[in-house]
Amino acid sequence: MKPAAFDYMRPRDVGEALKALRGANGEAKPIAGGQSLGPMLNLRLARPKLLVDVSRIDSLKEIKDEGDAWRIGACVTHAQLEDKALPGCELLAHVARRVAYRAVRNRGTVGGSLAHADPAADWPLVLAALDAVVRVAGPAGSREVRADAFMTAAFTTVLADDEIVESVRVPKPGAGARWGYYKFCRKTGEFPEAAAALLLDPERRTARLFAGALDRPPQPLDGVARAVAQEGTASADMIAAALARLAPGLGPAARKLRVTAVQRAILQS
Amino acid sequence: MKTIEMTVNGERVQALVEPRTHLADFLRDHQRLTGTHLGCEHGVCGACTVLIDGQPARACITYAVQCEGSEVRTIEGFEDDALMNELRAAFSREHALQCGFCTPGMLIAARDLVLRLPGAHERRIREEMSGNLCRCTGYVGIVHAVASVVQARGASNETPVAQAPTASSAPRFTPVEDRAEEKRQSASPVGAGTRIEDEVIVKHPLERVWAAFADMPGVAACLPGAEITESAGSSVKGRITVKFGPMRAAFAGAAALERDEAAKRGVIRGAGQDALSSSRARGDITYSLSDAGGGSTRIALGIDYSLQGPLAQFSRGGLVKEFVGRMVAEFAANLDRRLAAGTLAPPPAAQLDAGKVFWKWLWSRIKAIFKLRRRAL
Amino acid sequence: MSAEARPGQGVGARVPRKEDARHLHGRGLFVPDMMLPGQREVAFLRSPLAHARIAAVRKPPGSEGRVFVRGDMPEVLPIVAPSTLPTFKLSEQHHLAYGKVRFVGEPIACCVGRTRAEAEDLAEQVEVDFEELPALVDAHQARLDPSIRVHEEWSDNLYLTLQLDNGFDECSKKADVVVKREIELSRQSMNPMEGKGTLAVWDDRANQLVLHSSSQTPHLLRVGVARFLRLNEEQVRVIAPDVGGGFGYKCIVFPEDLCVAWLALKYRKPFRYVEDRREHLVAGANSRQHHYNLTAYASKEGRLLALDAEVTIDGGAYSNWPFTIGLEPGQATGNLPGPYDFRGYRVKTYCVATNKPGFLPYRGVARTGVCFAMELMIDAIARAVNRDPYEVRLQNLVRPEQMPYDNVARKHYDSGDYPRALRMAREKLDVEKWRERQKRGEPDKRIIGIGFASYCEQSAHGTSVFAAWGLPMTPGYDQAAVRLTAGGGLEVRIGVQSHGQGMETTMAQLAHQVLGIDVARVQVVHGDTGTTPFSTGTYASRSMVMSGGAVVNACRELIPRFVRIGAHLLKAPEADCRFENGAVIAPSGSVSLKDIAEAWYMRPERLPENVDRAGLEASVAFKPKRDTGAFSYASHAVAVAVDPETGQVEILDYVVVEDCGTLVNPMVVEGQAIGGIAQGIGTALYEEQQYDANGQPNASTLADYLIPGPTEIPAIRIFHIESPSPYTEFGMKGMGEGGAIAPPAVIFNAVNDALRPLGVEVRDTPLTPEKLLDAIERAKAVPKREAA
Repeated sequence: MKPAAFDYMRPRDVGEALKALRGANGEAKPIAGGQSLGPMLNLRLARPKLLVDVSRIDSLKEIKDEGDAWRIGACVTHAQLEDKALPGCELLAHVARRVAYRAVRNRGTVGGSLAHADPAADWPLVLAALDAVVRVAGPAGSREVRADAFMTAAFTTVLADDEIVESVRVPKPGAGARWGYYKFCRKTGEFPEAAAALLLDPERRTARLFAGALDRPPQPLDGVARAVAQEGTASADMIAAALARLAPGLGPAARKLRVTAVQRAILQS
Repeated sequence: MKTIEMTVNGERVQALVEPRTHLADFLRDHQRLTGTHLGCEHGVCGACTVLIDGQPARACITYAVQCEGSEVRTIEGFEDDALMNELRAAFSREHALQCGFCTPGMLIAARDLVLRLPGAHERRIREEMSGNLCRCTGYVGIVHAVASVVQARGASNETPVAQAPTASSAPRFTPVEDRAEEKRQSASPVGAGTRIEDEVIVKHPLERVWAAFADMPGVAACLPGAEITESAGSSVKGRITVKFGPMRAAFAGAAALERDEAAKRGVIRGAGQDALSSSRARGDITYSLSDAGGGSTRIALGIDYSLQGPLAQFSRGGLVKEFVGRMVAEFAANLDRRLAAGTLAPPPAAQLDAGKVFWKWLWSRIKAIFKLRRRAL
Repeated sequence: MSAEARPGQGVGARVPRKEDARHLHGRGLFVPDMMLPGQREVAFLRSPLAHARIAAVRKPPGSEGRVFVRGDMPEVLPIVAPSTLPTFKLSEQHHLAYGKVRFVGEPIACCVGRTRAEAEDLAEQVEVDFEELPALVDAHQARLDPSIRVHEEWSDNLYLTLQLDNGFDECSKKADVVVKREIELSRQSMNPMEGKGTLAVWDDRANQLVLHSSSQTPHLLRVGVARFLRLNEEQVRVIAPDVGGGFGYKCIVFPEDLCVAWLALKYRKPFRYVEDRREHLVAGANSRQHHYNLTAYASKEGRLLALDAEVTIDGGAYSNWPFTIGLEPGQATGNLPGPYDFRGYRVKTYCVATNKPGFLPYRGVARTGVCFAMELMIDAIARAVNRDPYEVRLQNLVRPEQMPYDNVARKHYDSGDYPRALRMAREKLDVEKWRERQKRGEPDKRIIGIGFASYCEQSAHGTSVFAAWGLPMTPGYDQAAVRLTAGGGLEVRIGVQSHGQGMETTMAQLAHQVLGIDVARVQVVHGDTGTTPFSTGTYASRSMVMSGGAVVNACRELIPRFVRIGAHLLKAPEADCRFENGAVIAPSGSVSLKDIAEAWYMRPERLPENVDRAGLEASVAFKPKRDTGAFSYASHAVAVAVDPETGQVEILDYVVVEDCGTLVNPMVVEGQAIGGIAQGIGTALYEEQQYDANGQPNASTLADYLIPGPTEIPAIRIFHIESPSPYTEFGMKGMGEGGAIAPPAVIFNAVNDALRPLGVEVRDTPLTPEKLLDAIERAKAVPKREAA
């Protein structure tokens, strides 16, 4: 199980990375931690001609407090967040600790997870619920895309071949904000079968609830979120109906499991 | 080949490697440090765990070129490490190893745990060790061994786990945003089993659409990612390139059309092979035309597909189904667009890469649905 | 754990393992670790299809001498494993596909490179034209419809059909209650952490083909390779170095072995093949898949009177050498009655050919399946008569006063107190506590259930048993060779192979028990046909009884020789001397083994005239007094919590009470039992290779095929009973497989106990959350009916 041959380069900065990607005509793949890409390379499912290693670009590794938000560089690892690189944001540490395994978290990055766009991954779901904004670096400069619109389908994002994720801006929830995150995995560290993330922020009058692990991008359950904000709860039927609309292919057992995940995320909040 | 330099177990090493050589192969074959084992080579089993710059990492999904300038430490690099020797003694005492294959990775993960989480209790030890699989011991001895070393080092205060507040005291409020859920949904229709259906209404009379559908190369070219290389009558040869995240496959093959004039139904039977992965795909696309009134035609599309070979051998079949669903949706969109232009030819060369053509089209459809609804209200 | 360890280093002592040190320092030597000058790596192009004719194979241009298909290796004979079982049909497995491919992953072309990556590059470029055939995926369908056949020269898809009827009609007539169930286990891969692997090299100096192979049975591999490559056996040497787990997977001759062996012969260079995880999962999904239709006949108290069984085993595409596809149905047919006392049994077992990898003997061979089936039936009977499954189980077990007991399938149970193990398991689990908690209800709304399962395990079964199964090989005597070294240490040579079982330690303990030599001074040599006596190898929980028995006897053989030399050195009459604790003792004094060895090797002038010229080495063959097997047994008991909202099952407590006769090293016994249980928990809850309608397996990574990790295995508690076998040395019984037998049964019984109020009874492995939720949702839709 060895990868097909590829070339490798390690750009010094974002500009050099973009140039390399542009020059490869879609045959290049950026790599950061490589914790999802690596297995696909070894299995020869992915066969890029060139790997552009962005993991050592300093500007992508910064974590900043911007007052009303945190800015997390694309190459910040799960382990850094797990180890509370952002004091005061328990949710990010809570989520980070549950991403795969520590040895994977030490190298896997937040930006890499977003760009890889596995629908069962943690960050696309949680960052959508937190109303984060993804900053994308491309040939014409940077652009910003809301996290909940970043993934367009399984393993597919708005990123063009010559764009990379630069950072993610996570708005700080107001005082008294509450969150819930529940994922159901058959085994510790494995892909979840069902997941849900909820943010209730009375100060900013925001309620955001997303269901994940649906073979498609995280789906917003706005009506349910509103009900939870207003009444503190939402009925199983209401959740089931919302999921039936958003993920119509689910069988009864699969839907039940996802309803449970949403209910438990709500309970946690 | 690339020249790399790194520190391995405290020694500076330089070597010429292929970029595709993963760190574990580099350590094992080039440095002859064979204590780093390969159990899965896809990052799950943990047998290849080493320290890179002091942190445990999978040597099988880290490429040697990525470790340029790094410090790598393998099981062979812990001969004088007091903590590792404590763990070794505990592993032997608690019978934490049998065949010994997972043991080096297990020890490296365990050492990191002991240093990082003083006072970790049993449940936490189990969670933290879950990135390392052992098929022999059932973990009971491993957990005892690690726990005994954690205990011997004192510090019994487990790091408190972040606990969310309970819902009881939660204040109620009305959120400002007031959107309909449907606005952002990206759902495409998903059928049962490996059959997927979609429907599109085109503003052309049935007979004209039926005639257009006789143009086999034109129809085939509406399949996203299709390239037609040869055509003769109702059959075509060519290939379909599909891109699914970092994965890409090019299925070369042929397709033939069968038509039922009376029922206004047709089946395109296609099959192809991706040479490199020796995977095979087969799909029967059925279309059925009916009058939608007002000079429009309803095209009911269905696809029965099967995938065989390495690309098929994953448990997340839902992803493939979802992908094929998108493919059908784009096929419908292409038909729609081309018929609007008056003809099915010429073919585009773009691969299916949702978020591009498909995404724009989907938006347009959703907008259209909303317009219809508003009118209905 | 609970066993009272005996002091010292002999039988019963918890001696730390001698093999640990090298592994703890990363200095083990596994086949993938080896690198010889000029070594080439081999990769295989494998079939993407389950069933197809091969119309053409095109090698990439310029690949001469680097890509090989069947026709390039005409000297290699197909693997055929005959069996004398009635109705048995032979399958012919070519080492590279010939004419047809019969399962996904079957090797078609063998490709050589300087690195594995290069070999894989080459494999990608080989083109194959297939004519696809309908795949046989369902064993029932394959059995009933012979129009499509895995082996076209056969008349149907049946490897064999076994039948047995012993008193069925007479006993079933007396029944008050009839209980029917359909029970199923899914297909599994064994997943040792190290895949199989073989490095073949021609040794000019020895004039031998040397295979360094990850094998549990080096001597059998030697026989097989010689046979299929048409060599004389003395031209082949097999060395099994450190082996990263076996579990039955590594006890046959693999087609890949024959390929690298042929290459090494042809090119006189080292060639190596190491299986990767994807290959293992896809091409190695070869065990556990059984289907049962059972009807139990019982009294109104739940006393089992008769059992009627139809067993279907999905045998896959080929019969392996040397164990044959007959082993699994043979074991299933004979072991289904389990530890129970009843007198009417009728069984029909079909072993069906399908387009899947051929069945191999996995730890617990067939018994995981039969125990699952039988134990679910016992609980079903209990429900039918409205009694506690524990009570029903207890009253049906063979009682100690019936021992030795010949059961309804003519198995001879040698010793033990089966009910005692069950009673102890109940007590250790503290059933009252769990029942109380079950009644009270959990704050998190999960539902508590408790379950039991009992089994007995034929171990170290020998000549008569295997001869009845009609395999190409029948184990007979096992030999051990021992040699006192000049310094007074001991070398022990055994033909079995230790790959985690700790035999380098436990065999030394046996030698210590007889000769008193410090365990550190006993060197156990194993896994090399060049340096060890013949043995059929490590399988069927046989090594301690068979090889260990031989070690004991070989050590004993030396004692009179020691005494003769010792008496001479002590200038005492031989009759006044005795051997004790590593020394010959006379009334006047004693001499150590070191002195005796010194005399034999370095100071022959000190030896008596009539010294035994066999010297200080002995090779002795051993077989137990009766070769029908030493039966270990156990009862497992668990408490689980079932989450009806997610379908998740958590094991809250897991108790084992086991009896494997005399314990040699309780630590090792517990390790084997727990390791087996972990695999059994995998069978119960996680592991499964699913196939689609085309015969495509859907798991090619460990993210698809889940093997349990530390959070999935509870802190298992083990308690021992020691009932020595009357037939073996020291009363030892084999126990390496036992742990893997009962977990699916005990866990399903506990889950069914929990879900009984919901009217749910689950009966097919693995119990995935989705399956459980489905069952619950379905039960909600159906009005509740009375139990059975």
